[in-house]
Amino acid sequence: MRSDRVGVLRLPYHYAPTTGGELMDLLIQIIFGLISALVIGAAMMVVTMRNVIHSALWLIASFFGVAALYLLMEAEFIAVVQVLVYVGAISILILFAIMLTRSNEGDRLFTTYWWTSGLIALGLFGAVLVPTLAGTIWNLPQPTGPAGAPEVLSGVEELGRGFVSEFVLHFEIAGVLLTVALIGAIVIAFEERSRRRRVLTLAEELELRKRQQASEHSAVAAADSVD
Amino acid sequence: MHDVINHLINTVFGLGWPGWAISLIAYLLIATILFMIVPFQMLFLTYFERRAIARMQDRVGPNRVGPEGIFQPVADGVKMFTKEDIVPDAADKWVHLIGPGIVVAPTMFMFAVLPWGPGMVPFDMNIGLLFFFAISSVSAVGLMASGWASNNKFALLGAMRAVAQMVSYEIPAVLSLLAIVLVTGSLSIVDLITFQSGLFISSSDVPGIPDFGLGWFVFTPVGFLAFIAFFIAALAEGERTPFDIPEADSEIVAGYMTEYSGMKFGLFYLAQYVLNFLLCAITAIIFFGGWQGPGVGWLYAQAITPANPAGNGLFNVLAGVLGVFYFLAKTYFFFFVMVWVRGAYARLRIDQLMDFGWKLLIPLTLVNVVSAAIWVGLTKWGAADGLAFVEGWAPLMRWAVAFVITLVMNLVAYFFLVRVYSQSQDERARLDDEVLERLTNVA
Amino acid sequence: MTRAIPLEAVLVVAAALFCIGLFGALSRRNLIGVLMGIELMLNSVNINLVAFWRYLEPRFITGPTFVIFVITVAAAEAAVGLAMIITIYRSWNTINADSVDSLKG
Repeated sequence: MRSDRVGVLRLPYHYAPTTGGELMDLLIQIIFGLISALVIGAAMMVVTMRNVIHSALWLIASFFGVAALYLLMEAEFIAVVQVLVYVGAISILILFAIMLTRSNEGDRLFTTYWWTSGLIALGLFGAVLVPTLAGTIWNLPQPTGPAGAPEVLSGVEELGRGFVSEFVLHFEIAGVLLTVALIGAIVIAFEERSRRRRVLTLAEELELRKRQQASEHSAVAAADSVD
Repeated sequence: MHDVINHLINTVFGLGWPGWAISLIAYLLIATILFMIVPFQMLFLTYFERRAIARMQDRVGPNRVGPEGIFQPVADGVKMFTKEDIVPDAADKWVHLIGPGIVVAPTMFMFAVLPWGPGMVPFDMNIGLLFFFAISSVSAVGLMASGWASNNKFALLGAMRAVAQMVSYEIPAVLSLLAIVLVTGSLSIVDLITFQSGLFISSSDVPGIPDFGLGWFVFTPVGFLAFIAFFIAALAEGERTPFDIPEADSEIVAGYMTEYSGMKFGLFYLAQYVLNFLLCAITAIIFFGGWQGPGVGWLYAQAITPANPAGNGLFNVLAGVLGVFYFLAKTYFFFFVMVWVRGAYARLRIDQLMDFGWKLLIPLTLVNVVSAAIWVGLTKWGAADGLAFVEGWAPLMRWAVAFVITLVMNLVAYFFLVRVYSQSQDERARLDDEVLERLTNVA
Repeated sequence: MTRAIPLEAVLVVAAALFCIGLFGALSRRNLIGVLMGIELMLNSVNINLVAFWRYLEPRFITGPTFVIFVITVAAAEAAVGLAMIITIYRSWNTINADSVDSLKG
């Protein structure tokens, strides 16, 4: 039913004729530009937005852009995991934390010496990262096999095999880490008083009032009997 | 669909178009068809639910517009379109606007991997099942955004409830699916369906079983427990009645939809029914074979497929019609069960909901994953994988042993966990009573 | 994909994302904003890992495997970090990074 099991998202390549690939390349470049603009722009909004909720929503947009970038790089499993974990879990956690805390940030968005960190980030980008990236010669492997044939990519099956053979120790440590984080988060955020502050149901409130009245009556009666 | 378009353009008309053009046409066509079908499904589902619940409550239900009220949803739609769109003054305008969109969009994306019939899947992704659930978790963001942007305490409370419920019930849903994925060894929804051919025993487990399209997962102990757990989790994710806490109208008005009107409210409504349809459909696909049924496999073997290019196009149509019929019949049956549950059960409290999910469903599904591993070992592994003692057994014998062992395991786990759970609930009720007692004494 | 876009382009996007995240983590006053900056930085690292896997060693699965581990660590970090932020909010009634300064001598 399916001819190509390794990477199903490579449909354009799979069906592209070997000679007319320039149009497809241009299309891919345009898509890459749009996705990069989304990722970078959304990230800029995350750090500059005054409202934390807006920041969190832009963060989600940025996560989506990164997932699209993974799809473009034919890592569809990583893309889906990105959506599942970052968009479905971590951003929800962040939104919950924002709702549970009241932000009284005042008039200042950044710390006092924000321009120092801005300089550090800009310097790192302009003076260290970009020259290094541009100056390195990457030993890109030459494509083997006939031209136009789909490349052999490792996929979900290899990932699963790796987790139970080569990376089994890392895998188990990651599991232990998650368990510890789960327990730790509960221990840190647990509030002892929350049990006592249970909201009473209407029936319980009625019962409470009845008993109060009864105890008042009995107190009055006891006072009477003393007299 | 791609094969059919390719056949039409390149073989019948002999135009010899390149592959990407055919892909583009096929995907555009599929997307158009789906976007036309889906809203009508939703319209019919609302009518179906209202009539069915009315019959259960000894009422008549909507019966004025058209014969037996069949055009009632259309009238409702017209009403929603013409209503004034009100945005509260204190609301966050932009987030208020995009919230319903973020809720609706994922439900539409989920149709991309949903197979309707044999060979009728929009896009057969090899991680389709994971994609389905990853995308479905996105709508929680939209709920949170719209609840917060409304600047209304009921909306915010409803959104928090909805998101907490969705996030905690995703875990049993995914764990119960994990058992099935272990058994099939594939995350593709199409592979999942083709695995379920046979007659009460999957022909992938025991070769030589006649193919009546009835080798469904629900007939195995692993699949049955997974089905129960998944369906309960699906009720919670679709905010259906025993778990409709997020929009409990007697407590918090309408939850996150409180400040929405007009077509934005309509979008929430659409998203909810489409999500319910999708959850019923995925239940039917994973545990009840989707389009599998008597006759479909035989018809599809004669049709034009990549494996059989010399087939007859008529059989494509026949197999498709029969497969879609089986699929929709199962899906609507599950939707009816959802309505039935709504008619029969009262709403849970939020702490009961969380207790049930975390203390009963998740342990049960974890045990089920272990059962699935045993099932896979007994039916598929051999001496090469370290299970030498099963080597000489006949396939049917291996299947029977696996059936008995997993059945016993799941039953023991079920009775043990239910006992522990009910004891803990009793203890909790007793503690609550004590707290109440102390409060009254202090007062 | 590898023919249309050079590896450097992907890496520059990741570097820009990293620097924006760094700026956010260092300069936001809101603790949740700091955490969001850290998430951005982790994402840029993941982009790098996937890009190196895709361009340099597409037959070996090491890159995506480590992306999965990074995502795991990010999830654990977010859970513990947000729990700590909630605890800080309970005791100080603020989540501004420069208001939580009781260790200052």
